[in-house]
Amino acid sequence: MIGVYDFCGHYDWTFEWLRAQGGEALLRRYWDEAIHRDSQRHASRLIAERGFAGMAEYWGHTLEHEGAGYDTTTAEGVFRIDMHQCPSKGFLIRNKLGAYHDYCDHCMGWIGPMLKQAGFAVDHEHNHRGQCWWEIRRSNDATAPAEPGTLSGAQDVRQRPDWKPPGVVLDVYRHSNQPDDKAPGAT
Amino acid sequence: MDKLKPAPAIPDQQPEPPAGPAALPFTDTKPVGAADFYFAINATFRFIEKEFGPEGLRRYWQDLGSRYYAQVTAAWKRGGLPAVADYWRAFFAAEPGAEVRVEASPGQVSLDVRVCPAFKHLRAHGRAIIPSFCQHCCFVSEAMAAPAGFTVRVQGGNGACRQAFLPRASAPPPQDLAQIKETA
Repeated sequence: MIGVYDFCGHYDWTFEWLRAQGGEALLRRYWDEAIHRDSQRHASRLIAERGFAGMAEYWGHTLEHEGAGYDTTTAEGVFRIDMHQCPSKGFLIRNKLGAYHDYCDHCMGWIGPMLKQAGFAVDHEHNHRGQCWWEIRRSNDATAPAEPGTLSGAQDVRQRPDWKPPGVVLDVYRHSNQPDDKAPGAT
Repeated sequence: MDKLKPAPAIPDQQPEPPAGPAALPFTDTKPVGAADFYFAINATFRFIEKEFGPEGLRRYWQDLGSRYYAQVTAAWKRGGLPAVADYWRAFFAAEPGAEVRVEASPGQVSLDVRVCPAFKHLRAHGRAIIPSFCQHCCFVSEAMAAPAGFTVRVQGGNGACRQAFLPRASAPPPQDLAQIKETA
C-alpha cells in the first residue's frame, strides 16, 4: 500500500516520474488537474465561496494537520502566510530525498491556478530550505508586496537570519498564478 | 499505452538501513500521516490512468515499488519475513484510521486489513475512488517483494482485504486479479 506517512516522499518521486514521461508540461497539468481540481477541490470551493476567510480556514486546518511551523496574517485586502518550517519540504530535507529538481514549485503549481479561478493573485518567495512567504490579493489589486516586517511583524520569515544565506537562490513570484512565472535569483 | 515511455531515469533511493520509526525507511516529525493526502493519492491514480491507461498506471505502481521503495526491499532481503512483518506493523501504525492485524508465521506474513485507512477517509469525505484502487497494493508490493525473494497475494478489497507475503520459492499460484475487488 502507498501510505500518507511518507506522502511527500512519493509525491516528489511522482513529479519526476511524470516529468520523465511527458516533460514539465505534463507535470504542470498534473498539479492543476489532479491536485487543484481533484484532490484539493475542497480548498478550491472554500476559497471561491469565502475568499480571505476561506483561505484562513483552509490553511489553518491543513497546515495544523501537517504539523507546519507557520504564521498567518489577515489585513484589509490581503492574506499572508509566513512558513518557517514547511512540513513537506522539511520531510524531504530530513530524509535526503529529492527526485524532482524543484519540489517547491508544486505549491505554485496548484495554488496559483486555484487562486486565479477564485479571482486572486500571489506574491511569493521560497528559499528551497523549507521557508517561504505568500501574500494573496485580489487579481485587480496591484499593491506591491509588503516590506519585511511591515505586515506580519516579527513573524515575517524574511527577518530570519537564515532566510537567505550565501549561495541560496530565492524563487520570486510577483502578482502571479503559475509556477513558471518566477524570477530566480531575485532578492 | 502509446504514450508510455521506457522506465524513466529517476534516481533510485539508496539502499541503506532503515532510519525511521521501527522499520520505516523515512522519518517524520509526527507519528501519523495527514489523512487528506489520501485525496492526492487517489487523484494521482486517476490522472495517470487517464493519461496512460490501465497499463500505464500499473507501470507507475511497479516503478514506485521497485525504485522509491528500494530501501524497504533491501531491508526485507536482509531480514526476511520478520522484517516484512515489522515493516507492515510500523507502516499501518503510522496510517490514520487503519485497523490491520499483521501475523507472522514461519512460512508467510499475513495482513488482515479490516479497515483500509484510505477507503475510510475517502468515503468519509464523499470522494469517488478509482475502480482499480485496490490493485495498487498488489502491484506496488509485488515490485517491492520480488527482488527480496518474496511474492504477495491479495484477496478482497473495497475497504477490507487479506494480503499474504510468501517466499517466491514456495511457488504459490499466480495472483488472480479477479480476486481483488473493484471499488463499489
